[in-house]
Parts: sequence; C-alpha cells; structure tokens
Amino acid sequence: MGLASADIPVSYSTPSSLERGKLGYVPEVWNDPPWIEGDNDYRSVTDKVCRIAENPRPPIAWWVGFLIAASIAGMFGALIGYLIVTGVGVWGNQNSVSWGFPIVNFVFWVGIGHAGTLISAILFLFRQHWRTSINRFAEAMTIFAVVCAGTFPGIHVGRVWFAYWLFPYPDTRLNMWSQFRSPLLWDVFAVGTYATVSLLFWYMGMIPDLATLRDRAKHPARRIAYGILSVGWTGSATQWRVYEKAYGLLAALATPLVLSVHTIVSFDFAVSQLPGWHTTIFPPYFVAGAVFSGFGMVLTLMIPAREWFGLKDIVTMRHIDCMCKIIIATGSMVGFAYLTEFFIAWYGGNPYEQFTFINRAFGPTAYAYWIMVTCNVISPQLFWIKAVRRSPLLIFIISIFVNIGMWFERFVIILSLERTFLPGSWQSFVPTWVDLGMLVGSFGLFFTLFLLFCRFLPIVAMAEVKQVMAHVDGLAKRSHS
Amino acid sequence: MPEATADNQNRSPRGASPFWRSLDELQNTESFKEFVAREFPQAASEYPEGVSRRRWMQLMSASFALAGAAGCRWQTEKLAPFAYRPEGYIPGEHQFYATNIFWAGAPRHLLVTKFDERPVKIEGNPDHPGSRGAADTFTQAATLSLYDPDRATTAKLWEQNRSFNKSWDDFEQALAERLAEVGDGDGLAILTPPIDSHAFYATLDRVAERFPQAKFYQHAPLSRENELSGAEMAFGKRLRTHYRLSEAKIIAAFDADLLTGMPDSLRIAREFADHRDPDGDMNRMWAVESHFSTTGASADHRLPMKAGAIAGFLAQLRDKVKELSSGDHEHGEPIETEPTPEEFLEVMADDLVHNQGASVVVVGQGQPPEAHAIAHEINSLLGAVGKTVVYTEEPSPRVGVGTMVELMASMSDRDVDTLLILDGNPVYDTPGFAEALAEVPHTAHLSAFEDETSRLCDWFVPQTHPLEEWGDVIAWDGTVGVCQPMIAPLLDGRSVLEVLALVAGDRSPDAREIVQSALMEATSLSSERAWNKLLHDGLLADSAAEPVEASLQQTGVEPPEYVASEDRLELVFTPSSSTFDGRLANNGWLQETPDFLTKLTWDNALLVSPATAKQLGLAHEKVARLSVGEQSIEVPVYVMPGQAAGSLALALGYGRTSAGRVGGLVDAETGKSAQGIYANDLAAFWAPAPADPVGVNAYPLRPNATVGFLTDGVSVQNTGKDYLLATTQDHHAIDQLGLEAIGRRTGELIRTARKEYYEENPNFAPQMSHEVMVHVNGEHRPTDPLLPFWEYTGDDQYVGDTPPPITPAWGMSIDLTRCIGCNACMVACQAENNVPVVGKDQVAKGREMHWIRIDRYFRGRVDPDHPDDPANFENPEVAYQPIACQHCETAPCEQVCPVAATVHDSEGLNGMTYNRCIGTRYCANNCPYKVRRFNYFRYTQPLYQEANRMLQLATNPEVTVRSRGVMEKCTYCVQRISAARIKAKVTNSPLTDGSVVTACQQTCPTQAIVFGDLRDKESKVHALATSPRSYGILTELMTRPRTNFLARIRNPHPRLSRPYESELHGGHGGGHGDEGHGDGGHGDEHHEEPHDGQHTKEAANA
Repeated sequence: MGLASADIPVSYSTPSSLERGKLGYVPEVWNDPPWIEGDNDYRSVTDKVCRIAENPRPPIAWWVGFLIAASIAGMFGALIGYLIVTGVGVWGNQNSVSWGFPIVNFVFWVGIGHAGTLISAILFLFRQHWRTSINRFAEAMTIFAVVCAGTFPGIHVGRVWFAYWLFPYPDTRLNMWSQFRSPLLWDVFAVGTYATVSLLFWYMGMIPDLATLRDRAKHPARRIAYGILSVGWTGSATQWRVYEKAYGLLAALATPLVLSVHTIVSFDFAVSQLPGWHTTIFPPYFVAGAVFSGFGMVLTLMIPAREWFGLKDIVTMRHIDCMCKIIIATGSMVGFAYLTEFFIAWYGGNPYEQFTFINRAFGPTAYAYWIMVTCNVISPQLFWIKAVRRSPLLIFIISIFVNIGMWFERFVIILSLERTFLPGSWQSFVPTWVDLGMLVGSFGLFFTLFLLFCRFLPIVAMAEVKQVMAHVDGLAKRSHS
Repeated sequence: MPEATADNQNRSPRGASPFWRSLDELQNTESFKEFVAREFPQAASEYPEGVSRRRWMQLMSASFALAGAAGCRWQTEKLAPFAYRPEGYIPGEHQFYATNIFWAGAPRHLLVTKFDERPVKIEGNPDHPGSRGAADTFTQAATLSLYDPDRATTAKLWEQNRSFNKSWDDFEQALAERLAEVGDGDGLAILTPPIDSHAFYATLDRVAERFPQAKFYQHAPLSRENELSGAEMAFGKRLRTHYRLSEAKIIAAFDADLLTGMPDSLRIAREFADHRDPDGDMNRMWAVESHFSTTGASADHRLPMKAGAIAGFLAQLRDKVKELSSGDHEHGEPIETEPTPEEFLEVMADDLVHNQGASVVVVGQGQPPEAHAIAHEINSLLGAVGKTVVYTEEPSPRVGVGTMVELMASMSDRDVDTLLILDGNPVYDTPGFAEALAEVPHTAHLSAFEDETSRLCDWFVPQTHPLEEWGDVIAWDGTVGVCQPMIAPLLDGRSVLEVLALVAGDRSPDAREIVQSALMEATSLSSERAWNKLLHDGLLADSAAEPVEASLQQTGVEPPEYVASEDRLELVFTPSSSTFDGRLANNGWLQETPDFLTKLTWDNALLVSPATAKQLGLAHEKVARLSVGEQSIEVPVYVMPGQAAGSLALALGYGRTSAGRVGGLVDAETGKSAQGIYANDLAAFWAPAPADPVGVNAYPLRPNATVGFLTDGVSVQNTGKDYLLATTQDHHAIDQLGLEAIGRRTGELIRTARKEYYEENPNFAPQMSHEVMVHVNGEHRPTDPLLPFWEYTGDDQYVGDTPPPITPAWGMSIDLTRCIGCNACMVACQAENNVPVVGKDQVAKGREMHWIRIDRYFRGRVDPDHPDDPANFENPEVAYQPIACQHCETAPCEQVCPVAATVHDSEGLNGMTYNRCIGTRYCANNCPYKVRRFNYFRYTQPLYQEANRMLQLATNPEVTVRSRGVMEKCTYCVQRISAARIKAKVTNSPLTDGSVVTACQQTCPTQAIVFGDLRDKESKVHALATSPRSYGILTELMTRPRTNFLARIRNPHPRLSRPYESELHGGHGGGHGDEGHGDGGHGDEHHEEPHDGQHTKEAANA
C-alpha cells in the first residue's frame, strides 16, 4: 500500500536560520514538485481514468455500493410519495418548530455543494494547479448535492402541488407576482442560478474528456452517447482557444456564486426576527461552513474512490494534504464564528439572544451543540499534525466528523425555534422515523448519482491533469501519442 | 338584537308534513316534458302573439300543474325548510333566537345564531342576568354535541344480549303495556337528573296522579346535596345560596370554584371582574383550596390546604371572626415571610371583619354539609346576609323525590319492578348501579347516546339535544325562561318532558303546549302575546325568586372529625373542565380544550404536589396505582405546583367506554375499541384510530355523588410505566435553565403590580417596554415607529385633493386583571372559526390548532430545599395571558412569505389568504408570538367522511374550512367585521363602536377582551389602548402589535404582600433611557401631533 509513506519529491533545501537572516540572502527558487506521481505519462493517465468508465465489469465494491445506495434512494422516493399523499405532518415539525429536518437537510446539502464550484472556479482563477485532479470529482459532487438540496424545499411546502408558485412567473389566474421581500424567493434564484452554472461548468469542463472516451469507445452505443455528449470536440487548437476562454469566463461567473448562494441561504435565517437566527454573522459564517463541509465531503468520497479506482498517482496525498489544510482554515473560521456569536450575544445585551445561546450550550438540546463543536471545531484541528494529514484512514474519519458536525450545525440553528420569545409557546422537537428516513434517503440519492457518475463519466479531468503534468520539466517519460 | 319569530312552532317536532301530490305522475305529462326541455316557460315568449283556445287550455293546465309542483316535495327529501319561507327570512342571513337550555348541570341562557335554519353558534343572552352575553366553555361546545354523528338514531330493544332496532311506536306500545301492568304505580321508579322547570314539575305531578305509588328519584354525579344539607343544618331549610359579588369587597373561597365551577359562575365572574377595577374599587379574593381552581388562580391570596382540613379551618375562622367582631381590635404587624396557616387565617379574619357587610365566605360543593353550615354562620356574623349573600327557596318538584342511594337500596331489595331512566348515565357514574340494575326486571333508558347505561337496559330510546326540544328553565336566580327548539329533532329523539308526558298518559305529547300551560299556571304569564314576548326575550321579566329571610337555627356546628396527619393521603374528586361529569366526553372541542391549569388535553391525571410526589416516589407522566380500600385504578401522574401537600386530585368524567367515537367506544363483549374520529396516532391518516377511552374513570373510587373527597384508605404507588400526557404547554417539564428564563420573562409579559404600587406608578407597565433607542442629533430617543396606526390610511391610491378614505384601525385590548383563564374564548373561537380538532397525538406533537391560546405562568419562590427541581414551587401564583394573533402593524410574518399569502389589509388586519398559501411555514417561524397554526394533515377530513356528515352542519358557513397544507391564525373574526361593514353600507351609517364583536370578546364572562376601532377616539378600545395600564408585548421587536394588554393589578392585603413582588419592577431602569418613557406621557395630545417626537409614548402604548 505505502499510503502513509508516499514519497513526495522535496526539491528545496532548508537554509539555516543564520543564512536566512543575512543581507543579500537569495532564497533558492521554489521548484514545484509534480502533482502527478509515479511512472505516469499522458497515456497512462488517460488509461487509468478511462478504464474506470470503460471497464465492462465494475469492481464488486461498486455493485455493492450501488445496490445499497439505489435501495436507499428508492426508499427516499417512497417516503416522498408517502409524504405527498399523507401531509407534511409525517415529519416532526410542529407549531413552534415549523422547520425541521427538511430545512436542515436542505442547508446541509447546499453547503456540501460549495466545494465543487470553489475548487473548479476560484482555485482555477487563482491558478491552483492541485485542483485539476479533484475538480471533476468535486463538481460532480456539487451537482448531486444540489440535486439533494433542491429536493427538500420542493417537498417541504404544505401543498407540494403548488410549489411552482415559488417561481415568479406571469400568472393569469392570480394576477400577482411572488413576494420579492422573502428570502425564500431569493433562495429560488440563488440555488437555481447556482445549480445551472455549476451544471454548465461541470459539463463544459468534461467535453474534452468525453471526446477522449468517445474516441476510445468500442461499442457503437457508447460511441454514439459520448459522441453526442462531446458535441463534436476534435481537440483542434481553435477549439482549445475558444474552450479556454469560455472556461475562464464561466469560472469568473461562478466565483461570486460560491459566495452568494450560501449567503442567501443564510438569509433564510438572518432575515428573520428570531433570537439565534437574526445575526449579521450568518453570511460569512455560512459560506465558511459550506466550504468546510464541502471539502469534508470531497475527502469522504475521494479517499475510498482513489483507493478503489487506482487513482492514487493522480489524486495524491499531496492533494489530500492541501484539502486538509483548507479544512483547518475553514474549520477555524467556523469555530471563530461560534465564539463570535456567543460574544455578540453577551455584548449585544439582548436577553433573548443571550438565553438562546446559553440554552444551545447548556439547555436540553446541548448534546447537539456539543456534537457540533466537537466535530467542527476540535476534530479538524487534528490536521495540524502532519501524521494525521498523511493517514487516509484518519482523514476519512475526520472528514466524516466534519459532515456530521456540519449537519448538526444546521440542526442547532433550527432547534433554537424550540425556545423563542414567549415561554408559553416553547415546545420540544422530536424527529419522526420519516425525518430520519429522509435524511438517510437523501444520502442514498446522492451516492446513487455519484456511483453512476463514477461508472459512466471521466471522474478526473484528464485534459487538465495533463496540463499540470511535469512535461515542462521533461519529467514526462513519453510524449502523448 | 335577538329577533325571535314563532315560526318554528308551526313545524311539528317530528316527521315531514304530508305531501299532497306525486311528481312522478306529473312528469309523464307532455306539458311537463316540454317545460323541462325549454329554457323559458312557453307563455313567457309566446303569450303576446295571440292565443288559440286550445293553446290557452294547454297553458292554463300546465300552469296549474306547475303551480302544484312548486309546492311539492319529493318523498325522500327530508330537508325542505324553505318550502314555506318564514316571514322576514332572508336566505343567507343570520337569525338570532333567545332560548335557554339545561346544559352541563345548570340552566344556560343563550342567544343562538342560526344560519339557514341550523344553529351554528351559541352565545349568551345579553338580556339575561344569569348570562349577560357570556357563555361558558361547555355551552359554547353545545352545537358540536348537537351535530355529533354518534348520537343515537333509533330506539332499541335488548333481548338476550341481542339488540333489535325499534321505533318510537314500538316503544310507546311496550310502555303502554308495561304501565297497564303497573297499575297504581307500585314498583314503578323514574330516575331523572335534577331539572328546574315548571313544565317538568307539572308533568311529574301528572305522572304521580296517574300512578300514585310511583317513586321519583333524582341523581346528578356532581351533586349539590352537601350545600343544601348545609343550609338545612344552619337554617332548617334547604335554601339556595346566592353570592352577590357586586356588593363584596372581600371574598373568601373555601374549596369553592366561584368563577367557573358554580351554576351561576358567569354572573359571579362578571361581578367579580366588574368590581375589580384598578382605578376604582377593587375587591380582594382569598382562596383556601386543595387543588388549583380558576378562583384560586385569580385570588390575591391563596393557601393550599387539604380538602379535609378545610371544615376545621372554617371553624377556626368562625371563632376568630367572633373574637374580632366582638370588640375593637388592632391590625397586626405586616408578615414578611410566607404566612403560616395561622397567620393567613388571622389576616383573613381581620380583613373579613374589617369589611363587615361587604365580605363573604363561600364554600364549595365538595365540602361536607358542616362546612357549609359553618360558612352560613360566619356570613351572618359578618353581616353578609341580605348584602353579599342572599338566600332563595330551592325550586323542587312538588312530588317527593328520592336520592340515588335510596333508589339503589330499593332496587337491591327488588322493590323496583319498572325503572325508567330519563337522561343520565348512572351505570357509569355510580358504583354498584349496574349490579342493582340487574335486579330490576323492566328497564328503559332515554339518552342522546347509547351509553354505558343504555347497554344494560331493556329498552333504549333516543333523546333530543336541548336545542331540539321545548321546555322551560328556572334560572339560578329563579327567572323563568323557555327553551324553544332551534331545529327540528335531527335524529328522531324525544325529550324527557315528552317521555314523561307519555307516561302520564298523553298519546302524542305536545311539548310546547305542556310548557305553555305549565308556565301559565306557575307564573304571571297570561296571554299569547306575553308568551311570544317570552320566546323573543328568552326570559320572563321580573320572575326572579324573592330572597327569603333566613335565620340561623343552629350555631356552633362542629366540623366533621378529621385527623390531621402528614402521612395520610386524601383524594379529591373534581369536575372535569372538559367533560364536566363525563356527559360531554364525546365532544372533540372540549376534549381538546386544555385544562385551565394543567393545560392537559384528552386526559385526566392525578395531580400531586411536587413535595408529595417526591415523598411517594411518584413522577410526572408515570402511571400510578391509586387505591381506595379495595378499589384501585391506574392513572397517570401530573406533578402540579400549588397542590396541597398530601392531597391528590383527580378529575371525574373520563374513562368512558361507551361515549362515542371521540370519548371512547369499546365493545363490551370483545373489549375492542371502535374506529375513532380524531387521530391519536400517525396511522390515523391512513386507517381510523381506535376510539379508546379518554382518560381514567375515577367514579369507581367514589362511594356516592355527595363525596367531594376521601380522607381514609387512600394509597398510591408508582408503577413505573410511562404515559404520554398531551399538554399544550410544558411548563414544569422544563429544565432549570429554561425555568429561570421563564421567570425573567414572565414579569415582562404579564406586567403585574400591587394596587398601591400601581397608584404610585400608574405608567409602570408601558415603562417596562424595552424600546429600540437611537442617537440622533445629540438626542437619545426611541426609533421612529414605522407606521403610527392613527395615521394609517391604509389606502395610498387616492389622488389629488380627495381625502383618504377613513378606514377603521382594528385593535384589541385584553385586560389581564379581568382574565380568569376560563377557556370560554378558546371554544368560542373554535366554534366561530371552524378550528379543527386534531386529536391527542397531534396535540402531543405540538400541533394543536387553537387560534387563541391562554398562556399560563407560575410565579413564586422555588422550594429552597429542592432548588434543582423546577416544579418545586412553594405556593405559586398563577397568571394567564390569552394570546392570539397580535395583528402587528409591521408583521414579521408578512415579509417572509414568498407567495404573499399573508398580507396587511386596509384596516390594518393581518390577513391570511388560504388559497394563496403553499405552506412554507416561514411565517410561523418568524412570528414572535407563535400564534400561527399549520394544517400538517387534513384535519378536517372527518367532516367529509360519510359517517360524520352531520358534523358538517356544525361548521360556520361564513368561514372557510381549511385544507391540508395551509397556515391559519386568528383573523380578528374578519367575517364579523365584513358583516358589520356590509350592514353599515346598506344602511348608509358609519360603523359604530360595538358593531363588531369578536367571538372571543362576545363570550368572555368577565369582558376582559375588548375589540374595536383604535382610531375612533370615542371607542372603548381606544380608551383602553391609551390607558396607562396598556402595553404591548415584544414591542422592542418593532412589531407594533394591534393587540394590547392591560397590566394585571392585584390587591393583596397590605400585611401579606409578598416580598419578591417589589423586586419585579427593579432592574428595569437601565438599558432603555429615561427619556424613553417619561411620565408625562399618556394623554391624548400625541394623537393630534403624532410627529413631534411623541413616538415614545406611541411605542410604549402600541
């Protein structure tokens, strides 16, 4: 295996502290180590990645995973049917806690969906080459997370059959528009735009790789399918020139969306009147949390995937190391936000706000708060230790903690509805089996889509990986044939 | 105004009028076929063109035939009420009828709203002194019982455990045969509830005349026997006691629920509240009781005491009163700490004596006769008789009437051969009655439901609902009133009166005739005209009973022997605030109405004080085994602060096994529950829920109807089993942290002060509001209110010089000094606004639908020995706050709705557009008052089921029946506002103050709720909104609520003021600048000058 001791070529010398301080000291030129390890050239990368989609018999693990995921997704569908037929009362929501698991799940999945666009757009604009190995993966994850997220608001409303009234469309019957002051309407725009741009970005980035798959396809059906999907890509210089320009533009377009979508989702809470919700810190805190959870989910998926699909050379420990560092950064931001919330609750002097926060930490639902703090603030700090960042198993466990913690973060926010202003209306929230089933079911849907993606589409952006391979330094053994 | 017509006299109580022509015959004629085929009648277009002789004949014959058709009815059509349209009747308009009914053990005086000839809403008769417009919880729910689909529809004969459906004719025949065998009535016994009615007495006389040997018995499970025996003990006569709280300054209630538990509580509560004016004379209420009643909760001083000890305590009070009134006495020193019972007694006696002639002592029905006799003596010592206490003759039948104990003795001795049980359910409420009944060879039961008793009788015959029958009532004060049927009997029932008339020998009794002649004989009623006036007014003027002189025959009555022991438990039986004595168990509205104090729905529970619970190892929501002698039942425990230590309280009226599909319907043989109407679990929305008995039946533990409490042989142990109690408020199941927060908030939500404090600081309540302060131009002042409501034109579409249309600014004021937490508003709102019943499971999940709720808060010091136990209050105070939609001027719900389903209207109402709502529930989250209610399921589903179709009739046609998935909430009874507006428009007159009365306001016995136009400076609500006591809650959120509360002013005795009370208003100095609520504030000047920096006061007031 040798996972933990992967050799990373280190090509810088450590100057002694004496030298460094001296006048006229010129540090040695940083020589970026190659992002792709092992004995890889263009062809081997193509082979390794395409093999996954071309393999007539996917690994048994895929089949097992797919069957489980698809069954859970099926259960999710059945639960949605049950919900629509019976009424939203099948959840634990009640008079005081009118939003429950569905909104928690919605915000959770939207948050997950952040990593993809951040990796593909922002890191692209900042020329972070390490993104190339993981961006396809992360973008796909984004799309599927947004699919899961989008499901919940749709089925959450009391009259699902009128959910389309959320969209501002010229309605001849009602002669009125939606209410533009409502954050829920902003959500429709924010999530809708985000889903659209992410999908386009993902698909566009995939075109050259789809063409590769088309070219390699042996079965006519595959050839036709990939042929249609690759929209006539030939790889000509003109095409590349237009493609790169468009990709850059889309990246620029997608970048503000990374910030906007979760900002607007946070408005669902921040715009309200409620103690614990009505806080100005929510937009940055939500964005940081979203990136945090998104990277957590990328790691959760990536670590087993690179193992099963033999991509350890392409998605290296160095990539994972980078992601761990982002997790430390965003996890610390989230932790700082938690502290700030407490500080402001105290400093702001609003007794309702103060009570809400004390109640979060020490009230009847303190367990949720401390799960959140443990998972989100404490566990990522372990990544300061290099050995932890080198252990895929530990990283995997911590990434799962991050996912759990971020789900609980939203749950804690929802739970502040239990005790708002009038004690006469205090109630406690108890989820039902449908709540739990739908939470699990949404994971089923997510993994089903993801496993299908792994089976049929290029999971690594081959064309982009090749761009950052060490060919400049002559480290590529052979030229691409 | 009530407008009664005598038209419903014309309709016979049962059966359709005979039709005289068959339409089938007519349908085959050519002319009819042609008529059907044509759009217009032939003559309509063809007549002017000249008519041949033949054509003329055709036309005329068709016209005659059709003229007949117009008067025809289909044979199968039962509802054809407008074939004869009553004079002056306009379809779709409401009609109001004054009537009276016996309901929940007392005469009730009503104004019934009928819509399309069906009663849909009950209100109190404003002209009747016993109601003054108010109706209590039970009465408000009477319409639902009228349309209860579980009501019996047919007579039944039981033979060898098999039942045969029979008709009234069969019963009449069987009855006639039976009565023929009875001869002079030997062995004939008739059991009825106590009914105060002249027609009833007259008919009993006729029965006694025909069967001289027949015996009559009366039985009510909540008996007034103790009270009457007490009067007999004191005065030698069974007198009825009336309390005149209008004359009373000091009221001392001993185990007596004056405000909701007496037959004349509506009047008492009104008088209590009317003389509790913080700006004028304020009475003082003392309460000594074992368990919290609404009276104890409203009292200025309350002493929890075992029910058994109260008679002895009264005897001590008598001695003290004697001692104090014999000579001059000095007031003692103020008592700073929690008073001991002796100190309490001393101060109370001092207070009573000090206000001689204006003080009164009241004892509850559960107390033994001796306690009542002692109270009569104290009252005469206090000089109360004739002033605050008045006695009248107890109306009673002229025939001799036996008690249930006597009846059971003769049944067991086989002296009873034929037993007619006319109304009542003794098998359920009297232990041993079922066994005694087996000894009676011939039995018949008249009841609206096939209940526990019906199953054990040979014959069962269906009874009318009181709104379906003729009768008369003698009100509590003796005023005579008539019960006129509001609707023809829906289900072929007959009244007690009619069946008695059958027994007396009438072939087809005419109840109206019986009532009229009985009243002509017994009262001053003489002419048909006077009779019509009686029907119209609902009461016979000046027919109240004359007070009688009562002189004490016996003084120094000793209390019954009682061993005061810490360890000995007592069990107190209380009437249920939902089912009364069990008879209303099948009423979903009542079952779902939370109890005053426990906020418990769909259950009764054993109330135990926190200390006793700890001592006995009982725990909240755990089942305990409660034993009295050899009888034992299992009952869930509710740990209740303020309960007397060592005293257990259990409500009667639960655990019905044959109430119906709401209150419990269990097959006697198989033990299986029938299918219920309302959900008690999630599956109910797929498959009907079982109609399991609601709560636990406490009657088996109670030896007879006069027993209010048991002091011997009571034991209780925890079984450890869990039990889910569905409460609408979870107060003391709350952790220490939450409890402290509640403690901090309650003082601000329910702003309370002692009268002295209020007099010194009249503006204390608005001053407690936290205003949002800004610093502008070197001035520290509150934020500008966004829309001052008296500036609010609501219509910005006017152009040019046209002044803005004057729209009212609706608002509400709720006086917390007057509110007694009686729940009448909740049920009135439910009846008016078609608020669905959701069932126990949904209440437990926190999804009750009541548009108005009554928040109840305890306040008091936590027991220092057990500070960790949140429920461990020492003798807490209770405060109520009715909360409905506050109709915020800047409603937080409105701006977050993505589909604009909740919007402001031009009159400032926060409106709810049901068909626009898609149910995102964001509005409910963002509502700081949490008054929005969501239809999580299709709660109205039972209305649409074939078996429950009658329930549809109970819905108010003016109000939408909401579907699944939409939000709803209080609308300020917008349908009533619309009706008043339309009326004003039609008559071209302005809306006057009082022309819109909301349902909750209308029924409030203490008139705590006032609704009206805030902009109208003459209106009552304006006066209240600008009163110094007026404040809004959570105004710091800038919601600017239209509902204001008036601070609760209490009037404790100066010697017993509790030390922590003065702490309440401390700690509010900081944080909201002094200029923010200057004292010179609450005059009217800021209405003229709303923009000159007077916003402070507006904000404080709004």
